[in-house]
Amino acid sequence: MAHDEMVDGRGGMRPQWRSLLGVLAGLGHEVLAERRTRLERILAEEGVGGLLPGAPPDRWRFDLIPLPLSRAEFAAIEAGLIQRARLLEAVLADVYGPQRLLAEGALPPALVFGNPGFLRPCRLDPQMPEDGLMQIYAADLVRGEDGAWRVLADRTGWTDGLAQALENRRRLGRVLPELFASRQLSPIGPFVEVWQERLQRLLPDRAQDRGSVALLTAGHAHPGWYGHVLLARELSCALVEGGDLTVRDGRLLLKTLRGLKPIGVLLRGGDGRGIDPLELAPDGHGVPGLLGAARGAVRIVNHPGSGFATAPVLAAFLPDLATRLLGEALALPSVPTLWLGDAAAREQVRGAPDRWRLRPAFSARVAPVVADAAPAAWRPALAAAPWRFAATEASPPSAAPCLGATGLEPGPVLIRVFLIADGHGWRAMPGGLGCVPAEGEAFWPASGPILAKDVWVLADMPEAIFGPPASEAPRLEIRRAAGDLPSRVADNFFWFGRYLERLEGGARLLRLTIARTAQPAPAPHELAEINLLADCLTEAGLLDAEAIAGISQTGLAQALLRAAGRGGALHGRLRQAMQVSGQLRDRLTGEMHAVIGRGVRDVEEALGRVAIAHHGEALDSAAQAMARVLAFAATVAGLAAENMVRGGGRLFLDLGRRVERAQAVADELARVLDFPGATEEPARVEHGLRLALELCDSSITYRARYLAVLQPAPVLDLVLADEGNPRGLGYQLAAARALLAEIAGSGDPSLALLAAQLSEEAQAMVRDVAAAPEQARAALLLPARLRALRDAVAELSNGLSRRYFALLPPARRIGS
Amino acid sequence: MIYRIRHTTRYDYQAPVDYGVHLAHLVPRPLPGQRVLSAAVEAVPALSWRHDGVDHFGNAVAWLFLDTPHATFEVTMRALVEVAFAPPPEAPLPEARATPPWETVAAAAWRGGAGAWQASEFLFDSPLAGADPAARAYAAACFPPGRPVLAALLDLMGRIRAEFTFRTGVTTTATPIAEVLRRREGVCQDFTHLMISALRSFGLPARYVSGYIRTRPPPGQTRRLGADQSHAWVDAWLGSEHGWVGLDPTNGLIVHDEHVVLGWGRDYDDIAPLRGVILGGGEQSLTVEVELDDAFPPADVAAACPAPGAA
Repeated sequence: MAHDEMVDGRGGMRPQWRSLLGVLAGLGHEVLAERRTRLERILAEEGVGGLLPGAPPDRWRFDLIPLPLSRAEFAAIEAGLIQRARLLEAVLADVYGPQRLLAEGALPPALVFGNPGFLRPCRLDPQMPEDGLMQIYAADLVRGEDGAWRVLADRTGWTDGLAQALENRRRLGRVLPELFASRQLSPIGPFVEVWQERLQRLLPDRAQDRGSVALLTAGHAHPGWYGHVLLARELSCALVEGGDLTVRDGRLLLKTLRGLKPIGVLLRGGDGRGIDPLELAPDGHGVPGLLGAARGAVRIVNHPGSGFATAPVLAAFLPDLATRLLGEALALPSVPTLWLGDAAAREQVRGAPDRWRLRPAFSARVAPVVADAAPAAWRPALAAAPWRFAATEASPPSAAPCLGATGLEPGPVLIRVFLIADGHGWRAMPGGLGCVPAEGEAFWPASGPILAKDVWVLADMPEAIFGPPASEAPRLEIRRAAGDLPSRVADNFFWFGRYLERLEGGARLLRLTIARTAQPAPAPHELAEINLLADCLTEAGLLDAEAIAGISQTGLAQALLRAAGRGGALHGRLRQAMQVSGQLRDRLTGEMHAVIGRGVRDVEEALGRVAIAHHGEALDSAAQAMARVLAFAATVAGLAAENMVRGGGRLFLDLGRRVERAQAVADELARVLDFPGATEEPARVEHGLRLALELCDSSITYRARYLAVLQPAPVLDLVLADEGNPRGLGYQLAAARALLAEIAGSGDPSLALLAAQLSEEAQAMVRDVAAAPEQARAALLLPARLRALRDAVAELSNGLSRRYFALLPPARRIGS
Repeated sequence: MIYRIRHTTRYDYQAPVDYGVHLAHLVPRPLPGQRVLSAAVEAVPALSWRHDGVDHFGNAVAWLFLDTPHATFEVTMRALVEVAFAPPPEAPLPEARATPPWETVAAAAWRGGAGAWQASEFLFDSPLAGADPAARAYAAACFPPGRPVLAALLDLMGRIRAEFTFRTGVTTTATPIAEVLRRREGVCQDFTHLMISALRSFGLPARYVSGYIRTRPPPGQTRRLGADQSHAWVDAWLGSEHGWVGLDPTNGLIVHDEHVVLGWGRDYDDIAPLRGVILGGGEQSLTVEVELDDAFPPADVAAACPAPGAA
């Protein structure tokens, strides 16, 4: 019989559940179910998977029913885990130091030298930190049938879940505030403050420029990325990737817009084995030379080699090691574990196959299996090198109430408890993360979907709040500029802006063209317009030049509808923009992310309704879909303007839009002013001018200013020179100039000056036309200048990339 | 025997490299039987930062950083080393038949503990020299039950020397052991990895030694294979009483006074003379030159190696 968390087996309810259950019963199942729906919506919108339909869903699902533990019970867990943390530290210090345990025969050589988590470059470090290789430690626990907690896994390397535990507590407070009304619940927030404080204290003690704290992530494709984003936010530290960092003169530096900034403490968000391609795995996401820097001024938390102690087989040796290293008995034991390198252990497992589960000795990522069900790939190794395996006793988890379809249902539960070293000793976060494992298993999966629970520690009396000790963080300078933005992030914002604009411009162009192809019998000049627009679309990559060469008007209409529909070229642009916004997930507010996610779903629905079979309806559906795309782009731009701090990524997002639009407008205007036959008959340029107004969405403004009289200079002034027209070229260039000046601050102004020159060239074009005796003929000279201007804008964009983004090229390993 | 060594490694890059960091195992390791009279590593262009240390295996290691664009990178090690490994009187090589049976040595290495734990490390698979069934099958005839370990080792070394052809350019550091076995040819690295893999498959500790062999053979003997380049051979463990013995399967020699040791590891990867990570650079080409000249008159030694403080 599995232990029951809620009832005591004699018909009574455990005290820690009484008032909680009272509140739940008072709310009733319907209310709880409705709250669960609300929570799921929040998770879908704020979660990392909420952006692209079809993308893997957020793997953290969350059960509304907390798991309460009494203060006394948790105190015992905490004391036991503190002892384990001390023990594991001592083991790590020996294994990476004098190796007395090996010399004395307390650890078989296979356990160290056969463990891929033993990182030889981390050994015999002259700078081995005095205060230990671990600063954070977590343990997964299971409660056995006898009611006692045992440790399933020691997480001595990087541990996922701390930020999720905090996030879950907050979400629970949002959707089910009733639970918190009268509870005396130990708060978990202060724990993070202590942790943050501790990281500050670990910064190297240098008079100037101690550097700052950063969290290293393998990027948005890494399964732990969402956790990294949350944790970086909790700790208010920079989230960085290997490519953002470089080691120079023994220091670790972050590439920001204002140059290289020192990093003094690097939290690693993944396996220590991938942290330095020079000395460790060459295919990791790390920083070449990082271990070299770590031997000097940089502190890596936890130490890259600390993952050694996650080997499940170590559990078999901990009781003896506790006596030997601490002179104490192990207070909180592991689930019984045997090392199969030992003949007696193999006998024991053979004698009671139902009782034991096999697992790799050195990988905590693989779930234990029944011996008969061992994967075929293990068999040769099991026979030839049984020392690579361990056996753990099957341990059915305790059962705790979870919110089911019709009410509370018991489900198996494991808990993960987090501890940090605060400089004086270890302390546990009063709470934790619960996990409902797969049926029949007692294993916390390393990846894959998890149903999480909030673990509560009840206070017997109002909490004595432990606040952070007096801070010695350096006094911050007031900053408003974008200087500390990592170059990679600025680059992503710039491209997010460009892709959004590319999407919007594409939708505008498609809408205009599709509407024209609907005319039943177009006049020759109308046909010429359609062809010009098709050229613009081809240039923009929305139509395939070869596919539309010489096709009928109906054929063209269908090609346009395909480009506008689901899976078409415009949809591709949406995905492109969303991919970048996914990489910016940590930089966008939850609200913005949610709005973008909803907008994308709406747009994709609308694109899906674009039919290409029935002409009339199809045009209508396409027009609607394009309107949806334009509304979406406007929403994102508006949100950015209203919500984002200017100094952050917003300058770059704006700049991306301006640069993209300037290039597109210059190109389109060059094409329409080259109206067919205009060279022979300059009056025909009028058709081009009309199209120019439409392309720049400026017909209404023109009419308001000049009524129905169409003349080259006034039209060109509106679309080229007027810096007040947000769809005209002048506006883009003027805005780009201002943005570049703001980004440069007191630095090199050359890019802003270049933008000012381009702005002046646009003004000059209009002046030249206005001053010409024959305006139409003068306008015919503009296409060449506009193309030159377009190319100059592209060059400006390249200059911007070189100046501010210049990412490090990928690292390659070479050798003699 | 005193040797003057020059070892130059040069990378030529197609495009400038913006940043490079290299790990060098280029300085001869002081050992009983090997006195390092002088050793220096120079780099061109000048390094932006250099850090020296000792690795897990006790070898000297240097981290070399370059952070300005460069189209070539050249590292030269010059050293003067006096070598006289282990012939009498200090540590006479045991008579082969006086060594313990190989199974006893294997059992002691597996158990570890006092006197054995450091050797135990070299029992286990490493990325380039895992225990390989094909290597085990190849070596099986040398390891009948109860055979004294040194007799088995010498037998295996002799077989590799006799049955494999030394040929450069047919293998790389990535060539698997099974492939070398199939081809019956390769270079010193391949033969060393093969022998290590075979020994590990019998539970015997074996380590990869990186170093050099003399360019000119002793009078009346043929030119050694693997001269004028980085050389490699095997250190095999004879048990805690007799310790390690150096065996060069490429030349069929017990290491004595014709080899200079740089250092050792589990396989080539642990002790590669120079390896690095670069950013940028496009295609690159690599040139390595080694010279190992012997027989200095004592006066030359004194001139080449001034007394401390004389500089």
